[in-house]
Amino acid sequence: MQHAIDAIVEPRRREILRLVRDAELPAGAIAAHFADVTRPAVSQHLRTLREAGLVAERREGTRRLYRARPQGFAGLREFLDQFWDERLDVLRREAEREERGKTDDSGNRN
Amino acid sequence: MTVATGTEPIVKEVQIDARPETVFGFFTEADKLTRWLCEEATTDPRPGGVCLQTHRAGESRGDQLFHMRGEFVEITPPSRLVFTWGFDEPSVGVPPGSSTIEVTLEPEGEGTRLTLVHRDLPEAELPSHDEGWDYQLARLVIAAAGGDPDA
Repeated sequence: MQHAIDAIVEPRRREILRLVRDAELPAGAIAAHFADVTRPAVSQHLRTLREAGLVAERREGTRRLYRARPQGFAGLREFLDQFWDERLDVLRREAEREERGKTDDSGNRN
Repeated sequence: MTVATGTEPIVKEVQIDARPETVFGFFTEADKLTRWLCEEATTDPRPGGVCLQTHRAGESRGDQLFHMRGEFVEITPPSRLVFTWGFDEPSVGVPPGSSTIEVTLEPEGEGTRLTLVHRDLPEAELPSHDEGWDYQLARLVIAAAGGDPDA
């Protein structure tokens, strides 16, 4: 998981993921999309994404083709599991603050 | 997209140093929902009444709003409430009315033991359009921060 997160923090890697979301593309086509990034840099990004399990690499002759790998992404359930942990932690703090406020102000006012 | 199948419910339990009466309002009152769960809220806290929430997901650069369209199913202050949970944006993968959240508040000493059960969630799929893609990425980024998605 941490791997995947590190991989998508970089905006260009997110851009690459967008490119290969629906289509399998050769490295050259991906590199051509970025005017301001060197080809070795694009290769490095692709390697990072592959190591994070976010893209799959396939060889066809001398070409390497890349495509996004849905399995690499956090599932909805995992997301919500963490979402509720975080939100309920805030709820606890806010409800306790509210409770203290009530007690401090005027006892059991509702 | 493949057909979504059900998942095990998410079950959370939290100990809160506040009475159930106090905690209950944080699920039914709009100005309290915005203190912990969402950016904006509209509520009509009675069975069949709406519970609308606007959530913000994403990094500072690609912030995006998601609209939760829920309905209160059961309201028993201060011990129990049930509401549906789903988003207008198809990309989230949880349509309005599809999943259900059940909250139980039990007094424990001076405080409350809160149990939240989120059930009927579909399995996630890689979304097929941009909005969903952003949401997926946003999820990862939020998870990465390991903290407040609003921060």
